[in-house]
Amino acid sequence: MSDLERELEQELHRVLDAMAARPIPPRRAIPARVGFRALLGGTGTALAVKVLTGVAVAAAAVTVAGAATTGSLNPAVWGQAVSEQVIKCKQEVANSGQHGIGDCVSPFASQHGATVSSATRQHGNDNTNGNGSSNGSGNANSHSKDKIKEHTPPPKTSSTFPPTFDREPVDQVNPHRLVTISPQP
Amino acid sequence: MKQAESERYEPGSDADFERLYRNTYRRIVGTLIPLVRDVSTAEDCAQETYERAYRGWAKWRPDAPVEAWLHRIAINVAISDRRYQRLRQAGEVIRRLGRPTPGTDPAVVAERSVVVQAMKKLPPKQAAALVLRHYHGYTNREIAAALDVPEQTVASRLAAARRHLQAVLGK
Repeated sequence: MSDLERELEQELHRVLDAMAARPIPPRRAIPARVGFRALLGGTGTALAVKVLTGVAVAAAAVTVAGAATTGSLNPAVWGQAVSEQVIKCKQEVANSGQHGIGDCVSPFASQHGATVSSATRQHGNDNTNGNGSSNGSGNANSHSKDKIKEHTPPPKTSSTFPPTFDREPVDQVNPHRLVTISPQP
Repeated sequence: MKQAESERYEPGSDADFERLYRNTYRRIVGTLIPLVRDVSTAEDCAQETYERAYRGWAKWRPDAPVEAWLHRIAINVAISDRRYQRLRQAGEVIRRLGRPTPGTDPAVVAERSVVVQAMKKLPPKQAAALVLRHYHGYTNREIAAALDVPEQTVASRLAAARRHLQAVLGK
């Protein structure tokens, strides 16, 4: 062993043995992140998110499709209401001697269609996955579309007064008199 | 570097890992002190060593020397620490300016040692070979097994480290 090696060993023992005499600190706690990572990461999670999103979209689509076909968010109720209205209209037509029940059924269909349309539009707005744009338009008025052609369009509810076209005041050339202001004493 | 009967450990056992920590912590810190900047960094690196070891504890094979495995992890941690040493230099200056007057704290003694300071300037693998050989007393073959390198590599690292030390210390 050379002098350098001997000196090296002595110095290392002098320095590091003193360090070794110090108390051993408690071991640092190790965060348990493996399970958390398994829950939140990986392809399985991505697949699960996609499946859940698909299920949510499919459920919304089925609901809106039902509303568009039957005209009601509750098809049973809507179908029953139409049937009752048709029977009622037939009785009225028979009593009054008119032809066809279109005039009688149409307002009911329009009123109900408007209600359903706003409901489906609201449903579409609540949808946060970006598919809401095509949900609200629906076929709410389609139940009475053929009949409505024979009638005057319903009045717009947004404006109750017809627009006015009042002329705006036009400045004439040199309309003002020149005013001279004399300094007050 | 053979394990005694009382130092047998079961992979994956928390109790055994705690026992391993108690039995080997001081030697691991002793290895790390000449490899990194200061004693506190060595202690941080030791904790990091045991964190890494704990993550692989279930996969550790009992037929391999456990302390050799720990030393290999510790040296890798020290090498990683040196890579980021430059980024920490600003914080180091601030920390040194705020340090109280040194007393007989062994950590201060270690940091004042000329030999230890010279070893810190060596490449970490060379410094590790010196510590394992001249402080822990391992043979070149045991060091080779611990570091998973050929025995000839250990010999050449030791020779290069001694040459560097001689040049630095003026011996």
